[in-house]
Amino acid sequence: MFFRVIPKHVLPDLVRGLAEQHEVVGPVAKGDVFVYAPVSDAADLRLDYDTTVLPAKRWFFPESEDLMRFRVSDNAVMEESLDTVPRVLFGLHPCDVNSLLLMDNVFLGDAPDPYYKARRDNTLIVGVSCMPNEHCFCDAWGTGETHWGFDIFLTDIGDDYYASIRSVMGADLVDRYVACRMITDEDTAAFQRRAAEFKGAFSNDLDTSQLPVLLDAKFDSDIWDRLGEKCLGCGACSMVCPTCYCFDVHDELDADQLHGVRVRTWDSCQFKQFAAVAHGQNFRDTRASRVKYRYYHKQWGYLSKFERVLCVGCGRCTRACKAQISPPRVVRALQTGVVD
Amino acid sequence: MATSETHKVPVIANPYRPSPARITSIIDLTPQEKLFELRLIDDSARDAFDFQSGQFVELSIFGVGEAPISISSAPSKQGFIELCIRDSGDVTGAMHKKRCGDIVGLRGPFGRGFPFREMKGHDILLVAGGLGIAPLKSLINHIHDDRHEFGNVTILYGSRTPSEVLFREQFDMWKHREDFDLVLTVDQPDETWTGETGLVTKLFDKIHVDPKSTYGAICGPPVMYKYVIAEMRKKAMDVDRIYVSFERRMKCGIGKCGHCGVGHQYACIDGPVFNYWEAMNLQEAI
Repeated sequence: MFFRVIPKHVLPDLVRGLAEQHEVVGPVAKGDVFVYAPVSDAADLRLDYDTTVLPAKRWFFPESEDLMRFRVSDNAVMEESLDTVPRVLFGLHPCDVNSLLLMDNVFLGDAPDPYYKARRDNTLIVGVSCMPNEHCFCDAWGTGETHWGFDIFLTDIGDDYYASIRSVMGADLVDRYVACRMITDEDTAAFQRRAAEFKGAFSNDLDTSQLPVLLDAKFDSDIWDRLGEKCLGCGACSMVCPTCYCFDVHDELDADQLHGVRVRTWDSCQFKQFAAVAHGQNFRDTRASRVKYRYYHKQWGYLSKFERVLCVGCGRCTRACKAQISPPRVVRALQTGVVD
Repeated sequence: MATSETHKVPVIANPYRPSPARITSIIDLTPQEKLFELRLIDDSARDAFDFQSGQFVELSIFGVGEAPISISSAPSKQGFIELCIRDSGDVTGAMHKKRCGDIVGLRGPFGRGFPFREMKGHDILLVAGGLGIAPLKSLINHIHDDRHEFGNVTILYGSRTPSEVLFREQFDMWKHREDFDLVLTVDQPDETWTGETGLVTKLFDKIHVDPKSTYGAICGPPVMYKYVIAEMRKKAMDVDRIYVSFERRMKCGIGKCGHCGVGHQYACIDGPVFNYWEAMNLQEAI
């Protein structure tokens, strides 16, 4: 990794330069929240945002996408294509950069998903440092910092950004479009101060140790019944989660009933039919079992395969849940045996 | 600022694309179940289709959807695969309306099957309940083709009623074979039934098992597993030589869509066949 210092006032030059050949998507204000959206004017980019409602996954794994067009009569695939555009996601926080690496394990590992891969290959990532809000708990998983998974990462050090550069493309773009300089020891000291300030800004001291043991040993605990009684089964936690990747596939027929489209949509293990099979059997027919599975999979199932938990501590599900079920609350319930 | 053009890109190496397969034979097994023989149309897809007993395919009918179906034919049968399908949902219902010569789609084979090579040289005890005979039929036929490589082979197969016994014609013929101990039982016999009656677990009193050299394989309705496993354990069979095959909602087949999660594993890539030691360590399994 190498580094540059970019004065804040010239950052719009980088955005404009990137926009010459890319669609720039970044955090913009929408009412009193922030969303990732295409940016047509660098001034609209709100790098001071706290979080977005939806995570960045939709730019690689949209909430709904056509997988293929088909013909019914001979079960033939007529067209298999995807829309993609050279794109920059500008302004992802470390948690969201890390979330994409977790998604990569699933979508780019064995039997790679060509739809996800095409968009991932066609997208540059520019990360930006942040300060935690009251729902953030990335410190619990160590996902508040990132050292790969981006082309450029900008750490705010006052009047300048301390830019970490990870890819050839990132290096090219910085040197081509923006007046920057080499780092000094003073800049690195400023970077260290910023990192310490970030680390010191977390208020919760969530104990996430031994979760796989607790999840198995307390699999039949009544904390899950308590949480199941609260859960509304709405699935919002999965939709806003940057690491929830489950999907459903269904066929939509044209009006003539002769052709149609096979469509993939986001799905949630919180929906009742998620684990249902034929003959009326449902392997998770209670809300308690479904709430439990979401945590069991994230903190143990995924961990057992990829050695990381499937959570980056972004706090989006905490904000989205109308029943006040949040990962810190569930983890505390596992630790103490009581739902607070 | 300049806007970049969205462009269509062809999808390559697509694991979601079904390969067309022609239905080459349909046999009515019971009022609810038919046995379909299928042949992949594309030569290279057919040559590449190499599977183990216990694996499954995604049966894909455009306009309806996909359903996971275990393969009933043996890997030793080249060029064709057989699927025993109960009319129990949208896709299986649509399949039951198909005729010989119609084209459907297949993806797969997927998952981990029975450890056939490891089983060689040992006695085999297969226990099936209802439609659970479908994946075991593949293993039975495979063993049949390499019969001299196995010790005693015992098959216990339980059905609810005589009319629901699958592959009955073949099993009726096999009753007289000396190299397979085949015992059929039904819960609700009729006047024609001459076999055993009662649950499949009752048959364990009638069989001899050498625990040192026996591999077990079980497939049936979810409720059946713990009782059959208990019988096998009473016979002192090792936990890691008892194999079970689980039905879950395998939708993508490649460990991505999440629907077939069972404990910390996915049935589609980690199973659907697990040994009992693995299953004991798997929440939600049995």
